[in-house]
Amino acid sequence: MIKQVPNPNEPKWRSTLSVAMPLNLSYIPIGLACGVLLHAAGFNTILTGLVSIFIFSGGAQFMIASMLTINAPLLSIVLMLFFLELRYALLGSSLSKYLIGTSERFKLIFAVSMNDENYAVNYLKFATDKKWTPREALMVEHYSLLFWTVSNIIGSLVGSALKIDLTVVHFALTALFLYMIIMQVKNRLTIFIGLIAAVLAVFFLVLTKSTLGLVISTLISSFIGFALEHYLRNKKPGSHLLYKVSSPGSKEAAVEEESDEN
Amino acid sequence: MTAVNHWNTAQHLLLVILGFFVAFAPRYIPIKIFTQRKIPEWFNEWMKFIPVSLFTALVVKDVFVSPTYQFDVIHHVPEIIASVIVGLVAYFTRSMALSVVVGLVSVFLLAVVL
Repeated sequence: MIKQVPNPNEPKWRSTLSVAMPLNLSYIPIGLACGVLLHAAGFNTILTGLVSIFIFSGGAQFMIASMLTINAPLLSIVLMLFFLELRYALLGSSLSKYLIGTSERFKLIFAVSMNDENYAVNYLKFATDKKWTPREALMVEHYSLLFWTVSNIIGSLVGSALKIDLTVVHFALTALFLYMIIMQVKNRLTIFIGLIAAVLAVFFLVLTKSTLGLVISTLISSFIGFALEHYLRNKKPGSHLLYKVSSPGSKEAAVEEESDEN
Repeated sequence: MTAVNHWNTAQHLLLVILGFFVAFAPRYIPIKIFTQRKIPEWFNEWMKFIPVSLFTALVVKDVFVSPTYQFDVIHHVPEIIASVIVGLVAYFTRSMALSVVVGLVSVFLLAVVL
C-alpha cells in the first residue's frame, strides 16, 4: 500500500481508489496485451469488452486467446476454463467470513467481479484494517474491473500494431502476488507453509498438466498449515515455528488474526 | 499471429456466455454457502492459510513452470532474480506499487542483459 495518512474526511471513492491504484496500473499493460491477443484470435472489440466484464480473469482470457488460435473445440475450452476458474472457490471461501451480513444481491454482485488480484488486495485490507467494509471491497473490485476492461478494449482496437512482451508485463502480477505473500508472513510457520506450497505447486502442476494443480496444491498445503498450527499450539506451544517474524519499514503489522491471542 | 480462428461472432459469444457460467459458479457458491450458515472455527483456521498457499502456487507457476507444464529453471533466470528483488523490496518498503514497478523494471532489464 502507498503510505496512507488516514483522513476521515476523504470521500470513500477516493480512499478506495488509492487502495486499488497499484493493481489498476499493473492491469494496464497486461490488459492491453490481452486485448491484442484476443483481437488476433478473432474476437471483435465488443466481445473483448464483454469477456473482460463477464469473465474478468487474466488467466482465462489469455487461455481463450491461445486455445482459439489453435482451433480447440468449444467444449474443451469451456472445460479448461472451468478447471482454471475452480480456484475462485478458494477465494470465496476464505473471504466469506468478512461478507457475513451482506444482502443476497450484494453477494451476487461481489462474486461476479472477484478475481485473484482484487481478492489479494481486499483480503489484505480485511485482515489488517478493521474498518474495511464489504462495500469498499466491492469498489476496489469495480475499479480494477474498469481498468481491466478499458485496457482490453484499447488493446483490441490497437490490435497487432502494439508489440508487447508478454512475459515481461505478466511479471507485474507475479510481483503483486509476491508482495502479497510477504504481507501474509506473520510467523515462521507461514514461511514453512509457503515452502511446502511451492514444492506441492510444482509437483501438482507438472502432474496434472493443468491449473487444476493450483487448486490441489493450495488445498493440501493450507490444510497442512492448519493441522500443523493446531498440533503445535496444543502440544508444543514453545515451538520455533510459531515465532513471530518482525517486519521493518512500517508500523503496520503483518496480517494479524484475532485467534492469535492465546 | 499467423494462426487464424474460423469461428464466427455467434460462436465467440456462446463461448463468453458459457465461460461466464463456469467462472461465476465457483466464485458465487462458496460465498453463498459460507456466509449463510455458522462456519465452524476449524474451517476459518484452515482458510487462514489459503492466501499464502494460493499466492505461492501462482508465483511458482509463473516463475518455475513452463507454459507446457514442465519444471523449468533455465529459461526463467530473469524472473527468478527479479522475484528475489521484489521480495526484498516488499519486505523492506511494504509498498505494493513500488514492488510492482521495481519488479517490472528489473525483469525487463534482466531479460535484456541475460
